[in-house]
Amino acid sequence: MLCKDVVENIMGYIDAELDYETLNELEKHIDMCPECMAFVMTYRRMLELTGKLKERTFVTPEVRNRLKELLRSKLKS
Amino acid sequence: MSSGFIKGIFGLINRGDENKSDSSYLTDGDLVQKFVNENNQAALGEIFNRYVEKVYGIALRITGNPSYAEEVLQEVFLTLIKKAHTFRGEAKLSSWVYRVTVNASFMHLRAEKKYESNVSLDNYVPYDEKGTLMGKIKAKDWSSRPDIIIFSKEALETIEKSVNELPESFRIVYHLRDVEGLSNEEISKILDLSVPAVKSRLHRARLFLRDRLSDYFDEWRKIS
Ligand SMILES: [Zn+2]
Repeated sequence: MLCKDVVENIMGYIDAELDYETLNELEKHIDMCPECMAFVMTYRRMLELTGKLKERTFVTPEVRNRLKELLRSKLKS
Repeated sequence: MSSGFIKGIFGLINRGDENKSDSSYLTDGDLVQKFVNENNQAALGEIFNRYVEKVYGIALRITGNPSYAEEVLQEVFLTLIKKAHTFRGEAKLSSWVYRVTVNASFMHLRAEKKYESNVSLDNYVPYDEKGTLMGKIKAKDWSSRPDIIIFSKEALETIEKSVNELPESFRIVYHLRDVEGLSNEEISKILDLSVPAVKSRLHRARLFLRDRLSDYFDEWRKIS
């Protein structure tokens, strides 16, 4: 197995979707290859970081208010 | 966000005494039914609370423009009010809302003739032609940095900015999956793409973003 195979199987690896044999081969390579180890670790950390993007809010009170007024006028009519 | 919000927004037109703890436990489908059958404004308020940030976030991600995003937001909620009675229980409200949002956002882009960047990520890979990562990743390994650095405001801004550099077709897949947390299957339905196509775009987008983050943390290490 090459680094390339680790990279191309990373989603399946993270989502635990790999078959037993591929998983075994992959972990054997990662254990021996510091580059792939770093790749997997930084990939995981990135997913943690991007999960935080969800917590951010972008809708300002002004945008909310304008939408509120619009909906209210539609519901009344 | 809060019960105060519902009261503030819909209190004036809501004659009933619905409280937040009641409607917040209902499913999306139940809320739609309450709104359609009982003209229950608090139910609409709860739908509003559940989706306002998601809709605006997707619209902003696709259009990159707060005014367009607001127009999309208004279009989506007006459509929701108008079409709520056609909504069937077996469909997922979330998928429907996302789909309308994505379509409206792309319509705005096309109307403005702002076509997507010509950056292609189809063949984006971090390894060399021999298929090895040798010398490419380890030197910039940032995975063991303390949380306070990895989850810093600046790091979040970096990833935010990098996401917006992705070509549109990759950006929307990435946003729905990694920011909104939808499944590949849901995304494939919303975007009319095959699941393998969703996975492939997500994969290239993540590889690109991981590289961007590595560059950012590497710069940060050099100057500090
Ligand atoms: Zn390797």
